[in-house]
Amino acid sequence: MSLAALPLVGLVVTLGTLVRPEGPIQADTTYGCLTCHAAQREAFVVGVHAEHGLRCTDCHGGDPGTTVLPAAHRGLTGHLDKVAAARVCGSCHADPNRMRQYGLPSGQLAEFRASRHGELLLDRHDPNAPTCTDCHGTHVIYPPDDARSRVYPANIPGTCARCHSDRQLMAKYRLPTDQFEQFRVSAHGVALFQQQNFAAPTCVGCHGAHSALPPTVSEIHSVCGRCHQLIDQAFAQSPHAGGAGTHGLPGCLACHSNHGTERVAADGIAALCEKCHSSDTRIRTLGLGIQQTVARATDDLRSADRAVTRMALAGERVGDFRFRYQTAMTYYLEIAQVQHSLDLQRLEELSRRVRSISVDLDAAAEAAAERRWEHKLILLPVWFLALSAVVLAWLALRGLKETDQSRDG
Amino acid sequence: MLGNARRAVATWAARFWADLKASTDANLLGVLRFLGLLYGPIDTSLPIDQAFRRALRYRLPRHAGWRHALGGIAYLLLILLVVTGVLLSFYYRPSAEEAYQSVQHIVSGITFGWLMRDLHVWGANLIVLATLAHLGRVFFDASYKPPRETNWLVGVALLFVVFAFGATGYLLPWDQAAYWTVTEALDVVERIPVVGGLVVEVLRGDPIVSGATLSRFFAVHVILLPWAVLGLLMLHFALVRKHGIAPARTPPPDGPGVPFFPQHFLRSFIAGVLVVALVITGAALYPRDVGEPPNPSQVPGTLATSWVVADVSRGLTYYLGAWGFGGFLLLGLAMALLPLFDRDPERRLRRRPAVAALGVVFFLGFIAAWLVGRQLRSVPPHAPAVPGVFVQPPPPSTP
Repeated sequence: MSLAALPLVGLVVTLGTLVRPEGPIQADTTYGCLTCHAAQREAFVVGVHAEHGLRCTDCHGGDPGTTVLPAAHRGLTGHLDKVAAARVCGSCHADPNRMRQYGLPSGQLAEFRASRHGELLLDRHDPNAPTCTDCHGTHVIYPPDDARSRVYPANIPGTCARCHSDRQLMAKYRLPTDQFEQFRVSAHGVALFQQQNFAAPTCVGCHGAHSALPPTVSEIHSVCGRCHQLIDQAFAQSPHAGGAGTHGLPGCLACHSNHGTERVAADGIAALCEKCHSSDTRIRTLGLGIQQTVARATDDLRSADRAVTRMALAGERVGDFRFRYQTAMTYYLEIAQVQHSLDLQRLEELSRRVRSISVDLDAAAEAAAERRWEHKLILLPVWFLALSAVVLAWLALRGLKETDQSRDG
Repeated sequence: MLGNARRAVATWAARFWADLKASTDANLLGVLRFLGLLYGPIDTSLPIDQAFRRALRYRLPRHAGWRHALGGIAYLLLILLVVTGVLLSFYYRPSAEEAYQSVQHIVSGITFGWLMRDLHVWGANLIVLATLAHLGRVFFDASYKPPRETNWLVGVALLFVVFAFGATGYLLPWDQAAYWTVTEALDVVERIPVVGGLVVEVLRGDPIVSGATLSRFFAVHVILLPWAVLGLLMLHFALVRKHGIAPARTPPPDGPGVPFFPQHFLRSFIAGVLVVALVITGAALYPRDVGEPPNPSQVPGTLATSWVVADVSRGLTYYLGAWGFGGFLLLGLAMALLPLFDRDPERRLRRRPAVAALGVVFFLGFIAAWLVGRQLRSVPPHAPAVPGVFVQPPPPSTP
């Protein structure tokens, strides 16, 4: 071959590259469905299923190896209804042998059967009930730790709210629709949405995910206690604990509400007790006692904080005092737990410890302030000397002037 | 017995004094003159004590009065700042890790450390006022006119050195206020066209205010600027001695003049004693707080500086905007360069109304902007609405 033929070879190679079918996906015969169903391809290939080698046929059936229509659609399920979707998902996700490699649980389908959603869908064939794809998406499915996923922690409340904030839909089941709004401003909602603290529970934290159901009255303190363990222990020692099990008392919710997780203001404790114990003076006294103890400890802790700040601003070294303040803070947090046991004696003991530290810090701050005040005493000798010097100099100056004038005169 | 001892001590003292006089000549007094502590000419042919007495008897013009003590007051404050500054530098540690703790130690761990620090703070603020007052006196008395225009320019340079001392000293406490005021000020400097970026890069030495900046500011504050002020002051005093006190606005009746000692000395003494007492009073009654430790990741909600120049700039920028601030700087520049153009020997104020108006606008503007700036609290643009809490987040409203 002469050198003159080289450009021709180059042209042929270039054209060859241009006419080659584009990309590896077209070349892959397992993706034959996409020749016609291009829109679904866009969605499917970005998800976690495509990533792990799942193909259209795994859920829909058919033959991707051919582009001749009757042959391609042989054995095709086509559009999956809700029940079929649950069954298809379960065909892999309920199989522990397939899920093991991904470290995924395989009990979702069984859990779903036990849930209210599963009961409505599988037993009553209610078309409003959600199936897997309603929460996880259909063709685009991301893992839950992907921020684009509908079940990413910060997206879960919105996903649930798509149905549970729909008044028309919820009216059929006589369910309220304000849960999302209550949750959004609750301690949990603020932690989740504003502080991006994913340790905070979303809807599924209390209701369960696939097995979603409201906790029963007797379960509530266990649900809350999963995170608030020390409070749960204190609550278990209180007279309320028995009532929660036997008398239908709604546990934590009685004082803190459910989705709103309301804080009880220190000065509102006694009033809260009266909501149930309106006529019992003994309980009233106890409520007032707790309220006063908590309020006193709050004031004392604030006062300790002010004392340390005051000393720090004046240039005192406050490292040790900060440790003392931390100790007081620890007692204070213990008060937050112990008050759920209604053990007034223990509360008073803790409150006394906070008070003791607060008094110490106040005294230290006061002593430092006194030392600083004594600095002002330096003004007495300074001004005494200064004024004496000024007066003497003034007199001397006047004397000189008179001498000058008499000499001039 | 006691009489004998007293006589012995007196004899010894007299002999010591005589030895000293005999072995030293009057040239030694040149040092005092050089430092601006002695005003009159020295007759080097006399023994040192007689030359000293003659130099003290040097007569000033008859119109030299209280007004002429202002420059001396500024000098006295400078000496006070040098003394307290040296004492502070015994304990201060110019590093990002130790600066804050060392200031705490000075304030609460050293006997009279608080006094040294607050005298330094108050002296630093008052020297700006004293220098400006001295400048105003010279301006309205037309003392800047030839042949004293060089000295006027040296004086203006000294004012800027005083400003530079304040600017570099402000960072050294290394607390939140210091950190963020300097950050804010450097941000403003950075916006100066052409040179701003380079100047800030050199001053800051880091992308943000950091230990590198602290080292630079400290070096400028205690090494560069003291030498600058010493050189300029020597020149200032030399020119004062060369040209003497400027003539009065209206020529006084003829007369022999006022002796420097004791008349003018007593006046300066009274003024000096009162100023020192005032500085101590300020230090004792209104000490500067040791703020929060510096935190580069937390913008404070408000910045309240106690530095005159920052107050004035803030007052001007707040009410007149950047253009007003620039205009005021131009006004100051016009005043600084005035002696180069205003060479007419006329000194009476009513014969030079334009100059008088310029001076009045500048000084009233300065005082007004200062008072206004003190009331304003700068809020950095991205400051959080709630200022950061100091020790710990406050306890929750209820447990």
